[in-house]
Amino acid sequence: MGVMTLAGPPPALAPAAAPVLAVRDLVTTFETPNGTIRPVDGVSLAVAPGRTLGIVGESGCGKSMLSLSLMGLVPPPGRVAGGSVRLEGRELVGLPARALRAVRGNRVAMIFQEPMTSLNPVHTVGGQIVEAIRAHRRVPARRLRAEAVEALRQVRIPAPERRFDEYPHQLSGGMRQRVMIAMALACRPALLIADEPTTALDVTIQAQILDLLRDLQAETGMAIVLITHDLGVVAQVADEVAVMYAGRIVEHAPVGAIFDDPQHPYTIGLLGSMPRMEEDVARLVAIGGTVPPPFRLPPGCRFAPRCPFGDAACRERDPALAAVADGHAAACRKAPVEAHP
Amino acid sequence: MTQPPRPDPIPATTPLLELRDVSKHYPVRRGLLRREAGAVRAVDGVSLHVDPGETLAVVGESGCGKSTTARLALRLVPASGGSIRFDGQDVTDARGPALRRLRREMQVVFQDPFASLNPRMSVAEILAEPLLVHGVGDAGARRERVRDLLRLVDLAPYHAERFPHEFSGGQRQRIGIARALALSPRLIVCDEPVSALDVSIQAQIVNLLKDLQRELGLAFLFISHGLAVVRHVADRVAVMYLGQVVETAPKAALYGDPRHPYTQALLAAAPEPDPARRLARTPLAGDVPSPLDPPGGCRFHTRCPATQAHCRSEAPALRPRAAGSGHAVACHFAESIPAFTRFRDPRPRPPRLQARLALYEARRAAPTP
Repeated sequence: MGVMTLAGPPPALAPAAAPVLAVRDLVTTFETPNGTIRPVDGVSLAVAPGRTLGIVGESGCGKSMLSLSLMGLVPPPGRVAGGSVRLEGRELVGLPARALRAVRGNRVAMIFQEPMTSLNPVHTVGGQIVEAIRAHRRVPARRLRAEAVEALRQVRIPAPERRFDEYPHQLSGGMRQRVMIAMALACRPALLIADEPTTALDVTIQAQILDLLRDLQAETGMAIVLITHDLGVVAQVADEVAVMYAGRIVEHAPVGAIFDDPQHPYTIGLLGSMPRMEEDVARLVAIGGTVPPPFRLPPGCRFAPRCPFGDAACRERDPALAAVADGHAAACRKAPVEAHP
Repeated sequence: MTQPPRPDPIPATTPLLELRDVSKHYPVRRGLLRREAGAVRAVDGVSLHVDPGETLAVVGESGCGKSTTARLALRLVPASGGSIRFDGQDVTDARGPALRRLRREMQVVFQDPFASLNPRMSVAEILAEPLLVHGVGDAGARRERVRDLLRLVDLAPYHAERFPHEFSGGQRQRIGIARALALSPRLIVCDEPVSALDVSIQAQIVNLLKDLQRELGLAFLFISHGLAVVRHVADRVAVMYLGQVVETAPKAALYGDPRHPYTQALLAAAPEPDPARRLARTPLAGDVPSPLDPPGGCRFHTRCPATQAHCRSEAPALRPRAAGSGHAVACHFAESIPAFTRFRDPRPRPPRLQARLALYEARRAAPTP
């Protein structure tokens, strides 16, 4: 098989429509007393309108720092140190703070895991949505309430006129997440970044929110970047999946291929770690060890110390993300593992 | 109105732990005079039992009362009603020496291993503390026991001198488990022991708990919201909703033929790691009602897809399905609702994943050169 090194997103994944978001070789660094760390280290990806990219990884893999980097929200002393983030063709890296703020919320919006920390407890739900609308759109003052009620109705909140005057603490966790989504969509963004949007929710409520995101995407045609640790959630809503490990994308494929034909040993291990609902497995396949801290990354392949297939060469040379099949790339010298005993 | 005591399917032998019609009501006080304005019925008439050496999982969503049930069983909070037995002895109101004895027999592992470990104590001190409190052994024997405990949970002897902050989440949970094992209990209450951990670490801890159970003959009361994890660890399962057990069954029956609409909805809502089986529609609308003012009749009727007039007026009792099946359901229509069969038959993994997992395991078993 011809192995091709990729500088950007895997070409076979290049979507037919121009991507809403195109990220190339993104690097985010932090200066720490232990030296410079790179929580995001050379990430490339793209999302087309109306599509959902799932970014999966465990804690410490850099997925949340990646989402903050996309939004230009990396907290100091961190900074985006290299690469490119293009939103609808416009370069965001290096944009002045003011220009960036205009993009944020207008063309790209973000929702987080815990809506309570993102909602202001002393303002009504309606007031906060009105504020979001006013910040991004020219709507006559007399129309603001109606627009906000409509936004609540769009996210399927029952009795939106009544909810408008309630405070966040009066809402359940699922309702709060709906309000967050309503605020995020108030500006009709082209891209929604959802960072673990259902992790704090119960499973029946999670199903409702995932359903809602799918419906809203079909209605608005927005692209979604969904960041999650849960392969089940990814399987339910993503079109494409990027698996992250220690700051890098180690595998990138259409969602079907990730589950039917996983190539990277980390992906294989993650799938084996998940208990299954339809059968009793005597033992789960656990991945040994833990994710290395960013200031103590091993040389060579970063997964090699935990990888059952890793050999001396893996521990020396860093594998590039290379195409293994149509639209499917993996950063592993041993992929597919049955061909490299 | 409270319901009549509902029999948990009758255990064959003396259960290790038995809760009979146990309730926990928290008074709600309002106004200047802090008058009692009502009560949160966190747990309302729960009966369940755990046999020696088995795992009973209690599942449900937040606010269903599963953690309060765990606390009641541990005697960390007093019950408002009902009785708790350990090894045949009534321990509902045990105090003094009897309670100390109970504490040796029944230990707990919490969800957040960091919050439950004293950051100023070394691992050796953390593990020796229960022994010290209960006056077990001398200093030498305790050191020996700490070494044994570390080995049991696959930690190295040198870890004894380290402090909690030096460990990863998974390792901290191993320390929490080692501490629970220190007094050689017969029952461990595991309150969401893997919920805060990454999936690959969850698998390590779940495997460890199962190994320990086999090796030491432990019984587990396993509290969880994750139905997939429960399928993997439990022998029997009790599903809770708004403070009550709505269905209890041996694992195979619960996943293969759930008969309560809520159990079915919980199973249907779990996101399956299979893009070929996407959920068509949300299985359950609405939110859980407040336990301060639970709906009359069947508490699930406000969200139930199969509600009928009868459900709004009369609370269903937890009724056994067939004698000896150990399967009981609190639904008026348990016999007639449509079956939910998605998880009845094992579904093989995709062949390439299966083959690579087999290779993965073989390689893990045989360390690479």
